[in-house]
Amino acid sequence: MLVIVFGVPMLEGALAPFLPAAFRPDLPLLVVFALALAWRNTATGLVLAAVCGFVVDLFSGALLGQHALLSVLAFVASRVLSQRVSMIGALPQIVFAAGLTAVHAIGVVGLTTFFTPGADLALLRPGVVLPRVAVNALAAPAVNAIVATLVTWVSGEETGRRPLRIATRSYVP
Amino acid sequence: MTEIRSRVLLAGLTALLAGFALVNMVVDRRALAQGGRELSWWSGLALDVAVPIQKFVAIPFEIARVSWGEYIALQGVRRENGDLRGKLAESEDENLQLREALLASGRLDRIAEMREEFDVPMLRANLVGLDASTWFRSVLIDRGRNHGVHSGMPLISELGVVGLVTATSRNAAKGMLLLDRQSAVSAVVQRSRDRGVVRGTGDGLVFEFVGRDADVAPGDLLITSGLGGVFPKGLRIGVVATVEEASAQLQREATVDPVVDFGRLEQVFVMLRRSSTMDLLYATEGGDQPDPAPGAKSGP
Repeated sequence: MLVIVFGVPMLEGALAPFLPAAFRPDLPLLVVFALALAWRNTATGLVLAAVCGFVVDLFSGALLGQHALLSVLAFVASRVLSQRVSMIGALPQIVFAAGLTAVHAIGVVGLTTFFTPGADLALLRPGVVLPRVAVNALAAPAVNAIVATLVTWVSGEETGRRPLRIATRSYVP
Repeated sequence: MTEIRSRVLLAGLTALLAGFALVNMVVDRRALAQGGRELSWWSGLALDVAVPIQKFVAIPFEIARVSWGEYIALQGVRRENGDLRGKLAESEDENLQLREALLASGRLDRIAEMREEFDVPMLRANLVGLDASTWFRSVLIDRGRNHGVHSGMPLISELGVVGLVTATSRNAAKGMLLLDRQSAVSAVVQRSRDRGVVRGTGDGLVFEFVGRDADVAPGDLLITSGLGGVFPKGLRIGVVATVEEASAQLQREATVDPVVDFGRLEQVFVMLRRSSTMDLLYATEGGDQPDPAPGAKSGP
């Protein structure tokens, strides 16, 4: 999976000349989201998300650590939500990816603004954010399916399905 | 009990990773504020290892792009050739007339000085990839400190200004494009000599200038003013597309079409000269900014 988290930011960079930024899926973010759904071990998933973010930082004009921090938070948010809401099926994945992209956009611009004197939040215009939200939302199910398949192939077990927890409470008559 | 311990450990790991990222951001920001950054050994090593892989990943896309470009180019090559020959002849005539005019006005000395300013060793570098984030505009090049490239050096192409080197490793470097929202460069209108600042908007450029009577019109060529010492004066930046109507506000804006096609960049030249006024690069807005250059932070 390290190959994936290293390779995806590079793929994103290779795609950049062909697709305008607004219409290019944020593959590293979507892969982190997919890992949160499919990767069984939370601890290694967190590390993978952080590594993916750091590679994006290395290959972008962002501050080193900016995407790493956001990737860790995105992983945690996706993991926590997926434990409470069923993410099986395209619709919940689309809805959550849309929300995650919007929050991620606020995070990127907010962190840049915070760390950069004189910066503003002008980039958070609907015209800038909404196309990204739409593209990521539409791409999320496909990325999830690919990552789930790869995780299955790597770990040799069925993923994307969490063990069912049965609430056991002693019966008191 | 085991579950509680597991949750505590996960919370601790999350805090550790987030803290590490935050510390890196603070360190990186501080390095930027001091005029550029040489990447730490581990991130530099990661970048050096990643650059050849990135080249490999980009090969299929590059083949597709070149093939498509050549196919499209072939379609109108004959007509374009004829047009270009005509334009070349016109340019030669115009060039001759301008030389005569310059001779007459005694400005050839100035041109000689400009040549000296441009007499900077340049290093050709290949673009390895564009920004991996959709929120920034930067490039990765395959030349680094081992080749004499350092933060703050200008990146240009044969057409004009491309950007500025912002981080280096031993064999690679990151450059911020002129399009980036954090980029700003002092510019002058070639025709009227009105001055202003060209800023990146993410997808394009705007020219901010002062004065209701400023003479800026669509079609005007914007060139670097060279006052900050980062870029030599006279490098082409872009052509004014539309100009905001004069209003009560003193500051006006014009949209600019960059002369460099950033989507088709394959090679750039690094000007192997670092300005002695790099401390001006990251000056805050609102203060006295005689020449904000690429890197003057204004937003993501």
